[in-house]
Amino acid sequence: MTLAFVGGTHRTVPLALRERLAFSAEQAAEALIRFRERFPGRECVLLSTCNRVEFYAAGERAAVPPPPDQLVSFLAECRGIDVTLLSSVLAGERDEAAVRHLFSVASGLDSMVLGEPQIVAQVKQAWAIAQDNNTSGPLTGEMFQAALRTAKRVATETALGRERLSIPSVAVADFASGVFERFDDKRVLLIGAGKMAAETLRYLRGAGARDVVVVNRTAGRADELAARLGARSGRFEDLVAELSAADLVVSTTGATTPIVSSELFERVESGRGGRPLVVLDLAVPRDFAPAIGERPGVWLYSVDDLAAACDANRKSRQREMPAAFSIIDEETERFMGDLHHRSTAPVIERLRAGWSETGDAELDRLFRRLPALDVAARAEIRQAFDRYAAKLLHPPLVSLRSESRAGAPHGLLDALKRLFDLKD
Amino acid sequence: MGGDGVGLGMVASDERFAIGRLQYSSSQRRDQGMIEFVSGISVVCFAASYAVALVCEASRLVFRSGVRGAAMIAFAAAGLVAHTIFLAWRATHEPAVPLSSAFDWYLLAAWVLAGGYLWLTIANPRTPVGLFLLPVVLGLIGAAHISSRAPFPQSPATQIWGAIHGSFNLAASVAVAVGAIAGLWWLIQAGRLARKEPSPRGLRLPSLERLAHVTSRTLTIAAWTAAAGFLSGIVLNAVNRQRGLLETVPWNDPVVLRMAALVAWLVIAAVVTRSTSRRADGPRTAAWLSLVSFGVLTASILWGLFGATRHGVPPARPQAAAVQSDQPAAAPADPEPQP
Repeated sequence: MTLAFVGGTHRTVPLALRERLAFSAEQAAEALIRFRERFPGRECVLLSTCNRVEFYAAGERAAVPPPPDQLVSFLAECRGIDVTLLSSVLAGERDEAAVRHLFSVASGLDSMVLGEPQIVAQVKQAWAIAQDNNTSGPLTGEMFQAALRTAKRVATETALGRERLSIPSVAVADFASGVFERFDDKRVLLIGAGKMAAETLRYLRGAGARDVVVVNRTAGRADELAARLGARSGRFEDLVAELSAADLVVSTTGATTPIVSSELFERVESGRGGRPLVVLDLAVPRDFAPAIGERPGVWLYSVDDLAAACDANRKSRQREMPAAFSIIDEETERFMGDLHHRSTAPVIERLRAGWSETGDAELDRLFRRLPALDVAARAEIRQAFDRYAAKLLHPPLVSLRSESRAGAPHGLLDALKRLFDLKD
Repeated sequence: MGGDGVGLGMVASDERFAIGRLQYSSSQRRDQGMIEFVSGISVVCFAASYAVALVCEASRLVFRSGVRGAAMIAFAAAGLVAHTIFLAWRATHEPAVPLSSAFDWYLLAAWVLAGGYLWLTIANPRTPVGLFLLPVVLGLIGAAHISSRAPFPQSPATQIWGAIHGSFNLAASVAVAVGAIAGLWWLIQAGRLARKEPSPRGLRLPSLERLAHVTSRTLTIAAWTAAAGFLSGIVLNAVNRQRGLLETVPWNDPVVLRMAALVAWLVIAAVVTRSTSRRADGPRTAAWLSLVSFGVLTASILWGLFGATRHGVPPARPQAAAVQSDQPAAAPADPEPQP
């Protein structure tokens, strides 16, 4: 075993336990140092996000990483949690399975929101903490580098992270941005103080919206919300005028009947001068009469419309899964091949050293017998010997690399050791 | 509009060829052979490059690829470079080029649109610009292929008016083509938004706001430039009559009629677009008008390609004195049989 990990995610660890298990950056650094002290020569990286806590350990030869149950005990000790409690919810993997898991995590395939991109930054940060505390090494370094490369490939070669999945992001990116080129010259009107209003406004602000007006039946609530959102408040009695002046409306009132009927909208329309109007009616029941959406220049979207678009996007992401897993399989195979090949390095080194030693001895004997050889001739002969040795070594090295793709080539290594009398 | 020139080429007469022979030296003959050689290869070359770029664009709808964008830009850029070299080579060997023949007129229009395609694709890599623009580019190259390469007989006086006439017509045609694509995109985007569907993969279109702006602006530009092209054509006709270099185009000539119809249509479309701009359904009206304008332009070009005309035709009995005093700038090289 060279690599090992234990961890739990939102799927396996209840929220209450996840909160206790979570590590801050400082706590993660302390845990890594403590691990290094307890298991000298091993490498480790700790990934802790709101949805997962995962501990990766690596080591070679005499310093193989501890088995997963010891890693669970270590985590339990670090966080002061009963080890039996953690053992039942944390899972462990070794070697190839551990690598495949990390690659899937970094690519967002194991995330709560499939394909979400924030995980890449979190993986980078986890690795950076390990590097800062000298607990990362060549094995974890290569593994995390490969994980980030895999995540990049999945992001560029599939559409996994392209489509948006939340109602506010879809409302702004897929619909409002389809109507308007820019938002910095548009008036945004928030009607009501529903939860999704602030979230939608966050996306609109990101798209450039500056001029935001909040109206609410309760004037005090509108003032409070406007102050919190950095907007200005308007009077609910001026709703017709505010609608006439608005370009984009986000409505989230708790009204039980539509607050904007078709008749009222006719009054609004006369003052708009033909400008298009996007209405994101996020209230349930709806705030705008559905017939308003059939008027020219009005783009009306209800929560159901936006949820259907989110669902279509989610299905689209799901369709990208096979392509993403194919990339992960390919990258895992490549990484494991390199890792296995790495284990052959000491034998190859000894083989080379042995041949070089023998070659040097033979050359010295030859040069003693032929003292008339000048420096140039000696150099030529030495180069010929080196080339000869390299050519003889080439086929076994190729066989070792080829065999490494399927796993550590123990059989070939043993054969080489016996054939060439290589001592450990 | 491009058909203006086409009419000339398609009805190239023996008399016109005779004018050319007056000053057809052996070096010009060698150059002409070179022109034929270069054009024979390069047109296929850059048309093929644009066609491959178009196939790459179309493949967006089928699968994703990390290298397609670069390949698309590389092929389009290679085509544009070959296209530019070809036009530049002709310009250095044909004094009146780039607007001296129907062939060059179409190729220059295609070149402007291909340059626009490359710029838009680099600036907006997720917008399938080529899917709509490259067929127009290839269509113009196809029109060039079947039109005459023979230059219009010109004098210094007519060359200026000919260049003005051709340039305005070129600008109008490009504006109509760009406006039609923007109009089509507006209708596609509005359809998606009305159906409440998320943006389809690989087909991210510009916003309705930008498309409406481009559509109405291009219709206005097309109307103005087409009118200017028509008026400069009238002046050119008068100069030709005075110099006796070309046959006077009568008012009832098909070219005059179709150009007048096109100008009238574009002016009406621009006025309607402007008058409905403050109405909620104004952008939709403009989108449809731009599409119809493109249809009218296409019909006009086809009429020009296959119809008979006196437009740009040398006089049956050239007035030798006038020709000599004016020193025609370009010699006809590729006389074609009467259709």
